[in-house]
Amino acid sequence: MIDPEARYLRTHEWAKKEGGGIFSVGLSSYAVEQLGDIVYMELPQPGDTLEQSGTFGVVESVKAASDLYAPLGGEVLEVNQVVVENPDLLKEDPYEEGWLIKIKASNPSEFEDLMDAKEYKHFLETEAE
Amino acid sequence: MKRTVLYDCHLESGGRLVDFAGWHMPVQYQRGILQEHLETRRSAGLFDVSHMGRFEIAGRRALEFLRWVLTNDAGSLLPGWSHYTLLADEAGGAIDDAYLYRFSPEEWLLVVNASNAYKDWEYLQRKAEEMGGVQMKNLSAELAMMALQGPQSEQILIGLLERGSLPEPKRNALGAVRIAGCEVLVGRTGYTGEPICFELFVPARSAEKIWSLLLEKGACPVGLGARDTLRLEASLPLYGHEYGQDIFGRPIPILACPAARFGVDLKDPERRFIGRDALEEQKKGLKRGICAFRVIGKGIARAGAAVFQGTREIGRVTSGTVVPYWVPREVTCPLHCGHGSGWEAHFSGRTGQRPIGLALVDGPLGAGAMVEIDLRGRRIEAVVVKRNLDNYGGPITFAVL
Repeated sequence: MIDPEARYLRTHEWAKKEGGGIFSVGLSSYAVEQLGDIVYMELPQPGDTLEQSGTFGVVESVKAASDLYAPLGGEVLEVNQVVVENPDLLKEDPYEEGWLIKIKASNPSEFEDLMDAKEYKHFLETEAE
Repeated sequence: MKRTVLYDCHLESGGRLVDFAGWHMPVQYQRGILQEHLETRRSAGLFDVSHMGRFEIAGRRALEFLRWVLTNDAGSLLPGWSHYTLLADEAGGAIDDAYLYRFSPEEWLLVVNASNAYKDWEYLQRKAEEMGGVQMKNLSAELAMMALQGPQSEQILIGLLERGSLPEPKRNALGAVRIAGCEVLVGRTGYTGEPICFELFVPARSAEKIWSLLLEKGACPVGLGARDTLRLEASLPLYGHEYGQDIFGRPIPILACPAARFGVDLKDPERRFIGRDALEEQKKGLKRGICAFRVIGKGIARAGAAVFQGTREIGRVTSGTVVPYWVPREVTCPLHCGHGSGWEAHFSGRTGQRPIGLALVDGPLGAGAMVEIDLRGRRIEAVVVKRNLDNYGGPITFAVL
């Protein structure tokens, strides 16, 4: 399942426009599926500054810990505490209820660097592990 | 990549297949690692362990050979019994850990780790040639192996018996039964910490049929992911983590692992087995030991993480992850708890998760000792525990919280 509204990093994080230079960020359903049961998450604090493609947290399954990469640089406005407490949300609704953070982008045009849904779909079919 | 005879069954059950020691094996099935773990603890889990090495050892000098190359004393093993054992090197490190089964008086079956099967076979062949009078046969292909573990596993098996009876209810007891028209060798052994546990040796051609029957009777297929969390919760060692070499490449002494004492027998002073001198030395005391811990702070300690006491690094985590558990029901009156009868009454239906692990640390470090574990530059608190799982002498296990 791929959200047509979202744009994607090769590391499977997505970003969606919320308006006013604000973007919500999450993890694609493909990545969630690959991770298996997610048991723990570490997310940044509101106010933290992120760089595009820099790490902003960790998501852990039983088997492994994986870094999360920021699709855009900017300031963290909000962190989804509900998903931190209930990582199952990621599996149930990765593109809506399962969002991870909201960012005030320092350079909203970075959004254009990301793969759109069609490109991401192609990427999953051809390159992704 | 190699496939076990149950490969198609794994696909049918929605197994997610990964490369494990050159084998295409399911890391999990549809239900996922957490649920598979919980099903094993509450009901019964079914594991394909056919990727492990199975060597038959026979011949005029077979017993003498086993008493020489293995740390446990095969001479103390009666027909119809099995025991835990190790292949030690001269320096007292583990070449592998293994289980030795004596289904018949003249033949022994040694089950070794998949990741070491080739190395072990070459090594044992060489030693057998050195000694002479020993015949080794690799049964790994013709004999499939599956494990059925958990409180319901006995009932499931009883429901399928056509002839014979299960081995007496003692760990390590062996027997032979007939299921679905084929002869199945059964051992009360396993790698989950479950007191009610079986491992089945099945002719390869009948493996699929037996696997499907066990699933039909209610067993939950369990992949390698939950196999690892189950063994870790029970503090059972894994070669490559608690045996072999530490993350710096230094050999881990066998007796650093508390579980090893079940597999090392030094009683008979006449028995000169490989590694004996080193193990005698280790028994006098070791600077490092494997201990179980539970994380108190937030986070998951994984293999390789540094363990501290104050500013001093005292060791490394050898295995660590999150394991799920059933929250025990609060029983106000043990005779009439009002929630059904028998062991089912103990399960509240609520579950939790807890980060636990094993670490190799300078010690001795007793239960209750506080340590800190480095997590990507942050320190989290953990406590050394005697065990993370206990059955208190009964048929079901409880998380020690």
